[in-house]
Amino acid sequence: MMNDTLRDLKAINAKYQMFHAMTGDADAGDASFLFSAKDNLTSKDMETCAGSRILEGYHPVFDAACIEKLRKAGGKLIGKTNMDEFGFGTFSTNSGFEIPRNPYALDRACGGSSGGSACAASVIEDHVSLGVSTGGSICCPASFCGVYGIAPTYGRVSRHGLIDYGNSLDKIGVISQKASDLKKYMEIIAGKDERDPTSMVQPEFRTAYRKPKSVAIPKEGIEGLSKEVESAFKKAVEDLISMGVDVDYVDMPSLKYAMPAYYILATSEASTNLARYVGMRYGHQEGDHSLKFDDYFTSVRSKYFGDEAKRRILLGTYARMAGFGGRHYAKAREVRQVVINDYKSILKDHDAVLAPTMPFTAPRFDDISKMSALDSYKADYLTVPANIAGTPHLSVPCGYDSDGMPIGMQFVADHWNEDILFSIAEDWEKQFDLRRPEVSI
Amino acid sequence: MDVKTVRDVAKFAHLDLTDEEAEIYCRDLGDILSYFELLNEAPGCDERGVNPIKVEDIVREDVPKVEYDADDLLKDMDTYERYVRGPRLS
Repeated sequence: MMNDTLRDLKAINAKYQMFHAMTGDADAGDASFLFSAKDNLTSKDMETCAGSRILEGYHPVFDAACIEKLRKAGGKLIGKTNMDEFGFGTFSTNSGFEIPRNPYALDRACGGSSGGSACAASVIEDHVSLGVSTGGSICCPASFCGVYGIAPTYGRVSRHGLIDYGNSLDKIGVISQKASDLKKYMEIIAGKDERDPTSMVQPEFRTAYRKPKSVAIPKEGIEGLSKEVESAFKKAVEDLISMGVDVDYVDMPSLKYAMPAYYILATSEASTNLARYVGMRYGHQEGDHSLKFDDYFTSVRSKYFGDEAKRRILLGTYARMAGFGGRHYAKAREVRQVVINDYKSILKDHDAVLAPTMPFTAPRFDDISKMSALDSYKADYLTVPANIAGTPHLSVPCGYDSDGMPIGMQFVADHWNEDILFSIAEDWEKQFDLRRPEVSI
Repeated sequence: MDVKTVRDVAKFAHLDLTDEEAEIYCRDLGDILSYFELLNEAPGCDERGVNPIKVEDIVREDVPKVEYDADDLLKDMDTYERYVRGPRLS
């Protein structure tokens, strides 16, 4: 089976474009499982570009901690997955390289920014893929590609070897066709690592089953949905109730402020992180060395950063400037805390907070090209709250629209409570009729 | 937001924009920042953590070690006698 996958890998990728780099091996050897990883995770044997042409030709000398752990557990890395440049996007269309195609309809997006990872998990039988979430980049593509995905608590997985987007937001997680795989592979990659101080404060990673008793649905989280998402979500809630889970509708007004707060924080952090890419040390270095350093850096950055990367650098740089920054950056940090407090208050009486993962199903590429930058940012309003709060969240497939496109719903638990998310997902999987995409190569 | 401000910000960020790019980013940032005024009506909070969880200062033992071979690190870099080549400073 693994050798069949390796044999067909090139043909699969020609159709779906999920991989930026792939193994050339035809034999799985002693491997006990195959995995892929988002291309912002460093890998010794494959080029790592994070979707950006400015990093073209970068061959890391070390594996990211999560890749290192999966290899030690018997995994074989088969490919680095396509993504939005540095994670900057909702559809995986903001890439300097290939754009992954949705397994259920090739003219539609996979979601972003871990679109290639969700595509690989959906198309390849018995496959697990590593994703990274900053504002929803695991759950969004998992929802669009009809698979399960978890972004754990901030700090649960070492980020050693992750090419940063926003340091106070980035989380590494897992995407798979099977809910049980999320727990299985999270157990391998979770844990303390002295190379990432944010991982050092985590408590024990619990995975034992806990019977889910109740979930809360914020009224603000079911506004602005497409008719088909609304209808599928309503049916899924009825199914949850029939599984013995109590469902309460609650108020969470802070949700509407999470999106602007997220973009202020994320772009502020991104604009400083991306200052290191100047045409020295990594990727493209063919600038004219006779130029003065300011002009050299500017020429390389202007040539190789994509449109959305430039937009977020400009937004983040502006947000950090005196005047505007004093107003909005400080307020964004306060909003983050308000959202955390609201989640904790609701989660005192409930196991999880529930809402659809995305307000619509995977859009066509044509429709995405007509969206403004602000329209695209607004599409993230259901996934960013859990991300700025650093709370673990898990998307499960919960239905299909009239075109057969998958719909997902997202459960959010309190910090360090991934165990209840695994329990809910495994219970859900037992009764949900998952429709695999028709894969022909 | 105006084109001059966009160009000033771009200069800080080491980006050179074409006239067309400056116009597009001016319009996009104007739309985005107008929408973000929504933050003005958001409830405030006395707490303002940098991270969503409390991250303590846990530091590793200060033991010197060589994790990577220097030549390995330099292999993809533009070098001169094992120094990284860069542009003029003045």
